[in-house]
Amino acid sequence: MISSLSFINQKGEILIYRVYKDDISRSEITQFCAKMIATKENKESPIINIDQTSFIHISIKDIIILATTKTDVNVAMVLEFLYQLSKICKSYFQGILDENCIKKNFVLIYEILDEVLDYGIPQIADPNILQKFIQEGGIQQETSMNIERLRQLTVTITGAVSWRPTGLHYEKNELYLDIIESVNLLISAKDTVLRAEVVGSIELKSKLTGMPECQIGMNDKLLMGKQARTTKQNGGIAIDDMKFHPCVGLPKFEKDRTITFIPPDGHFQLMSYRISENINIPFKVNVIYSDISENKLEIRLKIKSIYDKNVYGTNIAVKVPVPKNTVNVISATALGKAKHEIEEQSVIWRIKKLQGDVETSLRCDISLGATNKEQTWSKPPLKMEFQIPMFTSSGLRVRFLKVMEKGAYKTNKWIRYLTRGGEYLHRL
Amino acid sequence: MAYFGNNQQRGELQELYADLNDLNFEKKKEAVKKVIAYMTVGKDVSQLFQSVIKCLEFQDIEMKKLIYLYIVNYSRQKPDDAIMVIQNFRKDVRKSENPLVRALAIRTFGCLRVPKLNEYLIEPLKDCISDDDPYVRKTAVLCVPKVFEVSPELCPPVLDQLQKLLEKESNALVLANLIQSMREIEVVNGKQLILMNPKIIQKLLLAVDECMEWGQIFILDYLATYDPADSKQAEIIIERTLPRLSHINPTVTFCAVKLILKYLDYLDNGDLVKNLCKKISPSLISLLSWNQSEIQYTILRNISLILQKFPILFENEVKVFFCSFNEPYYIKYEKLDIMVRICDSKNFTQVLNELMIYINEADPHFVRKTIKSIGKIGMMYDKALNEAVSILVEFAKNVQQATEPVQELFIQMQILYRKNRNLYKTNDSLKILFNILEYANEAEAKSACAWIVGEFAEFIPKSVEKMKEYIDNFLIEDRLVQLQLLTSGVKLYIKYPSLCSALIQQLINSAKDSFNPDVRDRTYIYWRLLSTDPEVVKNLVCSAPIGSSQFQKDVRLWETKDLIIALENMGSISNLFHKLPNQLYKNIKVRNNHQQEAKIYKADEKQEAPQKDQEIKKNDQNQQQPQQQQQQQQQQQQQQKQDFDLLNFDEPVSNNNNNTNNKMDVYDLI
Repeated sequence: MISSLSFINQKGEILIYRVYKDDISRSEITQFCAKMIATKENKESPIINIDQTSFIHISIKDIIILATTKTDVNVAMVLEFLYQLSKICKSYFQGILDENCIKKNFVLIYEILDEVLDYGIPQIADPNILQKFIQEGGIQQETSMNIERLRQLTVTITGAVSWRPTGLHYEKNELYLDIIESVNLLISAKDTVLRAEVVGSIELKSKLTGMPECQIGMNDKLLMGKQARTTKQNGGIAIDDMKFHPCVGLPKFEKDRTITFIPPDGHFQLMSYRISENINIPFKVNVIYSDISENKLEIRLKIKSIYDKNVYGTNIAVKVPVPKNTVNVISATALGKAKHEIEEQSVIWRIKKLQGDVETSLRCDISLGATNKEQTWSKPPLKMEFQIPMFTSSGLRVRFLKVMEKGAYKTNKWIRYLTRGGEYLHRL
Repeated sequence: MAYFGNNQQRGELQELYADLNDLNFEKKKEAVKKVIAYMTVGKDVSQLFQSVIKCLEFQDIEMKKLIYLYIVNYSRQKPDDAIMVIQNFRKDVRKSENPLVRALAIRTFGCLRVPKLNEYLIEPLKDCISDDDPYVRKTAVLCVPKVFEVSPELCPPVLDQLQKLLEKESNALVLANLIQSMREIEVVNGKQLILMNPKIIQKLLLAVDECMEWGQIFILDYLATYDPADSKQAEIIIERTLPRLSHINPTVTFCAVKLILKYLDYLDNGDLVKNLCKKISPSLISLLSWNQSEIQYTILRNISLILQKFPILFENEVKVFFCSFNEPYYIKYEKLDIMVRICDSKNFTQVLNELMIYINEADPHFVRKTIKSIGKIGMMYDKALNEAVSILVEFAKNVQQATEPVQELFIQMQILYRKNRNLYKTNDSLKILFNILEYANEAEAKSACAWIVGEFAEFIPKSVEKMKEYIDNFLIEDRLVQLQLLTSGVKLYIKYPSLCSALIQQLINSAKDSFNPDVRDRTYIYWRLLSTDPEVVKNLVCSAPIGSSQFQKDVRLWETKDLIIALENMGSISNLFHKLPNQLYKNIKVRNNHQQEAKIYKADEKQEAPQKDQEIKKNDQNQQQPQQQQQQQQQQQQQQKQDFDLLNFDEPVSNNNNNTNNKMDVYDLI
């Protein structure tokens, strides 16, 4: 499987280097580093094969995590493993993974690398479990001496519910639920919807005592079709695909589409889903570019929010592309602010808050500088970013969230919805 | 604690040496950490071996791990010193009550990779494989391939133990590791080691539900190489695998897809197959829009394989492959390729409209690929031809400099003209192209231009002047251009004998001195022919083109016979490079394919035998011949020929030479 792992900085220096199999030499890695630094561009594929050695890498900001192998491994697995490794590191270093913290914590990283791979084969790569027996400065003396505890630990690690430790206790049982949707939209220049898709995720923060079993239900069309009392409500929505955290009992889901799970402790992503039917597109955009004269361009932009009146869109940013040779922009709008940002080659119109069912507009007068070539300017798409709390583009709703545990077990539950712009593009 | 020491004096090693031998524990520990830091940056600290291993006497786990790391790194350089550690390892394995320590010791022991130390390892290893603690067992089973790699002769008793464990092990994680471990040994050994039986399969399927994600991958990956005994068994395994399609780890999903796709061939029930396809499709589409572009890329690279065997899965889904503006280019390239593959007589307008947008992108490589794709689609579908040409002509209108896409434009236009000569009548394409001929600077593009000038001389103003320009620089041109100029020059001469007599003289004079023997040979042939009977030359050179029938759609990337093996290895590195494992790795043997033919799953029919339907050309003679063998042989030859077809997509690197040669032949066709 994986022959070696390395962490490499921007300058191509090896920060961490761990060999799992004997078939790779350090010089091969340094050669790769030199090559990476030389090209740097984003065009290279993440997998390079040089003389039967494969270099598979991901970039986390300025750090490259590189795996090498000489065998015919499953590439997606290696990549996914590298991503999980980066998550593990981040969980140890308060969400940061940079050169500094790698250098500071290299002993700890080596310890982690020792555990996550054995002979290059992925083993335990769940941050929650690793934290139980790898800690900075070694695990607590008390645990390491108590053989009974250690046995319990190894049984948990290798067991079927490895993600949740036993014996958790909270004064108050609390469960926070976040439904976050990204809208990916592509609209053609002729105003037809080429692609509309919602990629959503349900994230949980659980502070629960014991080993409770939870069940979550959404207005999933297939599930509600199975339950008889759908006649009163509308039929629910069609979900194309769902992917679950390991804690969800997949055979049960496959059988009757109910989602049951014993949650890990703390924050985790319960599931992700994808919906492509009946998407509520939150904004209607209308834009007209008109050439006034050779060095004058006028842009008129209208936006209408098409969500409910008592819902507010926040942090809206519309990136309106302008030509490279733009010299000056005079913009006029009733709402928010518009500014020419040269690096982005666009006028960015920011609106802090926009109520539903409101139309607002922007007008930009653009003066263009002289260009040497008479090339027609091909406009990149117009991009929108936004966040709309308490709104889901797909119409997905959580109908219930049950927490089942013996005795008088009370749980406080909170729920939030958020829709934000993903790849939200209008071609011009 | 210093990571990279600033004071790079010679005394450093001595200093460390002193610290390692210090009586103070903390000082020792710091020194060990420093040693590891040096090791990381690539400094040789092997001289400290003895001092470092002396520190093993402490029971501090963190320190132990560091020292083990050090030992693993240098054991091969210092095998004699490494022997001294053996006792420590054996003590840890046998005496320690701490399962973590036992596991750590056996894990590290296996990594020493010193043949003569391994004999001390076998006994403790056996103990660990039958340890009570699952954590120790899961570590021990992975130790076996490590030992096997270095000292296979010691292993037979342990291997037996593994097979026994396979039958009785109940912990899912250990079982998953065990399967993976035995597969690693199989790769090294080249022999089958895992003996399957229905009971073990049942256990593995149970384990999939219980073990962590990587274990699920190992088991699914293994089961994908298994040939189910009958339809019933295939159905059971598929049923148990279906829930994995909803796992958050994309690789688990992908392995499940692979397994199900492979087992489809074994099912008798056509409706079930259809239903399964409906279930797999959304899962795959989610993977295709995965938010980590590296993973998305690997899935995209595998889609061509799935597309070839299971066109049904992406019926009406071409939109999934539309490029987003901000995607990395390596993703865009793949999507472009797939869009051409998925394009058919129903959706070509949709695809062409999308490609038209990409022409405006900034990256010249990408635009070039787009133009090539448009050309391909025009070639493949007669109905798409006009649309494709009008997009290209529109592009040509805006050309102002010699960019990369412009080169491709000439090449594709030439091919399209060859497909349908009458194209020149329908729009201004010739005129527009003629205006930008000067921007051709790549050999292939220039040769395309030369062909256009020769072929359409009557419809191009000043074609003779243009040809004169070319011929003036004849000797500095590439071989490809020279050959085309010869043919085009002769064509011009046939069309305008009096106007071009000086021209053809000049051409032959330059060409007979070409450094390239092919060019010289062809020059003499033309020369002789022209001097004997120009009428013959006219028939030869200016005869009507063969017509569009010679170009056929062929978007197959894989040989049909390789499909099943390729499918079993879907997701692997070799597959990523569109090869079979044995084509990329010399030491890997591919197991024999028991099935004769791969089924192709199309939307309209349930299944069909591929060979006969996919064969596009049918040789009349072939049909008359009774011997089937011969027929098959010829069909295979044809298939190979098709693979070098002009229309074929990016060939694997090894084929490149053949490919370019072949391309030239096509261009040389008169």
